[in-house]
Amino acid sequence: MSALAGTTATDLEDSRVVQLLNMVTPDDLISDDEYEEIVEDVKEECEKYGKVVDIKIPRPAGGRPVPGVGKIFVKFETPGGAKLALRNLAGKKFAERTVVVTFFSEEYFEVGAW
Amino acid sequence: PDGTKRRRKRNRWGNAEDNKAAGLMGLTTGIEAHMTAEQIEVYVLNLRIEEISQKIRINDVVPGDGDRSPSPAPQYDNAGRRINTREYRYKKRLEDERHKLIERAIKEIPNYHPPSDYRRPTKTQE
Repeated sequence: MSALAGTTATDLEDSRVVQLLNMVTPDDLISDDEYEEIVEDVKEECEKYGKVVDIKIPRPAGGRPVPGVGKIFVKFETPGGAKLALRNLAGKKFAERTVVVTFFSEEYFEVGAW
Repeated sequence: PDGTKRRRKRNRWGNAEDNKAAGLMGLTTGIEAHMTAEQIEVYVLNLRIEEISQKIRINDVVPGDGDRSPSPAPQYDNAGRRINTREYRYKKRLEDERHKLIERAIKEIPNYHPPSDYRRPTKTQE
């Protein structure tokens, strides 16, 4: 198991990670119940496009600005899953907001650099 | 009944075909080209402003059943008409959000032009 060595995607298009934007606001992520529901919703939908191995949704903490809040990151088992998710999720509605999707660097995902 | 089982509140997903505002704004939502984090941030900021503008324009402001919050007590004007209707409340919420986003865009995006239907809210308090 090596998450870092040898698996570096030089081209973002081969990344197994997608970044989902314009879906959640800091307020949506404060309550634990709502947060769990959002994770569940995202996982359930993403599983339609490939096996999901990890989801990261940065949460606000104590009023200070936290990097990445408002973004959702999903790592698939294969680049194919990520690609399929990007094409299918883009433009969908999530809580009355339009979903924007991009690929995201696997290395940055692992270390939480958003 | 046992109060421990939390009822699944809602499913937040909706299909792209039902996303009227997104269709109208005509902005790319699946970005395969490489953009820096800053570029993406600006892009999404502008997209959300456009999305709200379209929603207001076509009066698509009230969320679907599961996404609505409990209604507050009704308020009426002197003629007995209800002021805080559902439509009014959600439209106001979107206008307030858009106002904040536009303020941000003006600061962060060089040469930013707000949507043509945008009027800066005048201070009516006091």
